[in-house]
Amino acid sequence: MTHPTTDAPSPVGTNEPLVSISGVSKLFSRRGRTVEALRDVDLTIGDGEFVSLLGPSGCGKSTLLRIIGGLQTADRGTVSVGGGDVQHARAAKQYGLVPQAPALLPWKTVADNVRFLTSLHRRGGSEQVMNDAEIQELLVTVGLAGFERSYPHELSGGMQQRVSLVRAFAVGAPILLMDEPFAALDEITRADMRYLLLDLWSRTNATVVFVTHSVTEAAILSDRVVVMAARPGRVAAERTIELPRPRTPEMEDEPDFHEQVRRLRADLREHHA
Amino acid sequence: MMRLDPLSVSDSTTDIKAGDPLDGYATRSRTSPIRRLLLLLAPVIGVVGFLAIWQLSIVVFDIKKFVLPSPWNILGGIEADPMFYVRNARTTVWESFLGFTIAFLLAMLGATIMALSKFAERAILPLAVLLQVTPLIAYAPAIVIWQGFGLKPILIMTSLVCFVPFLINGVLGLRSVDPNLLELARSVDASRREEFFRLRLPSALPSLFSAGRIAVGLALIGSVLGEFFSGSTGGLGYSVKTAQAHSLTLQLWGSVFVLAFVGAAATMLIIGLERVTLQWHSSQRP
Repeated sequence: MTHPTTDAPSPVGTNEPLVSISGVSKLFSRRGRTVEALRDVDLTIGDGEFVSLLGPSGCGKSTLLRIIGGLQTADRGTVSVGGGDVQHARAAKQYGLVPQAPALLPWKTVADNVRFLTSLHRRGGSEQVMNDAEIQELLVTVGLAGFERSYPHELSGGMQQRVSLVRAFAVGAPILLMDEPFAALDEITRADMRYLLLDLWSRTNATVVFVTHSVTEAAILSDRVVVMAARPGRVAAERTIELPRPRTPEMEDEPDFHEQVRRLRADLREHHA
Repeated sequence: MMRLDPLSVSDSTTDIKAGDPLDGYATRSRTSPIRRLLLLLAPVIGVVGFLAIWQLSIVVFDIKKFVLPSPWNILGGIEADPMFYVRNARTTVWESFLGFTIAFLLAMLGATIMALSKFAERAILPLAVLLQVTPLIAYAPAIVIWQGFGLKPILIMTSLVCFVPFLINGVLGLRSVDPNLLELARSVDASRREEFFRLRLPSALPSLFSAGRIAVGLALIGSVLGEFFSGSTGGLGYSVKTAQAHSLTLQLWGSVFVLAFVGAAATMLIIGLERVTLQWHSSQRP
């Protein structure tokens, strides 16, 4: 087993740690066989940081995201969010979740769907949620103005995923958890969505934990990329992405960007079982 | 489309389904106006055609009126005393409606418990299957012996026979909720009540409407059978029974026709309600 290599311990553009993960392990049992989904994961995520969890399938990146969000519990180790535990953070609506599928309510309009998470468990985190004007602004930003009264089945896959993004931002949560949100989209739509996401994020102070298996996606979006390896799922390397913000599509053609991608690819190769 | 589940023996709505443009073939694009009109009228043509063949056979094979009357004679019989049929239909519809509603409410309660507990599901399901496969006509007299004559045994039979489709489809529907949506709800610590009313119940509506369509026919069977056995003095089942006893062939057939009409009308009502309620659902799209 290889040990994690870390090239930059202090992340860019952050003040204090918001999420602290230490010694987290998780086992899954499937048909009598035990799979080590995560082994001894240590990770600190700074307030306002955009962190990607990058790795092949089976490296436990989604499991780690779900543990951070309190949707799964670790077998060993601790996770703290803003100094408290994850269940408290969840109860205080500190998370905005973007799942892989858009997962919209088919019986509700776009306007109602973007308010779905806000309307659940109203007492938790009620002062942070976006008001109607702010939500409308987000809808305009993602190009959904005029579709407020449409139903999900009337929208394309990309448009549905944009609704899902706005829904997560509308919670006004300090932490956004994104589980391969663009994986099901076609390449062209996916490229647009990345910059749309950065645009939305730049309007907030939110911290983003973004799970992906795309090296270029991780590189163009993130402040820092956590490279994970499988069997057992673990953190293999952490790379700070030294590209200025705001990120633009033109940057993807520059040598600096290619250098970041090359380093991430090397990390992935080195730790691939 | 109607969801067919292996536990439901009833197929009583299929004849009416032909008139249901949800089936898709009526809404295909790029068809000529004449073809579209033809497709629209197809259900009417089917029913009228069937009655015409019946009518013709009576004439051709010279079948006696008291053996098998012609549709025209039957309709004439209804026209001769419409209030008789209206009065009896009202009784049967009321019994069916009550039984249908009781079954729906009890089944929803059961389905909720079963959807939330795997143990409850495994414990209740065999009972539901037994209830479904035991012919109502076999235990109907037992219910009358136990409960005596009157409305009560009729309602028990009607609700028993409607219960299982609602229960099975209810469980199916409550379970059909998108797991991603459940996870989203949990990510903001939604309560189980919110989860049930905001996610599970709306997700179950398409299945429940399917069950409703099946249960309409079953409710009529239940109440007619109930009237047979429980010493009723009203209702279309009672009318059939007395007609048989006195060899009133026209009254017998008239009651059957009115029952068919009532069943068709109730099914149409449910389909209409379904279309208004489930505009968002994939089954309602062309």
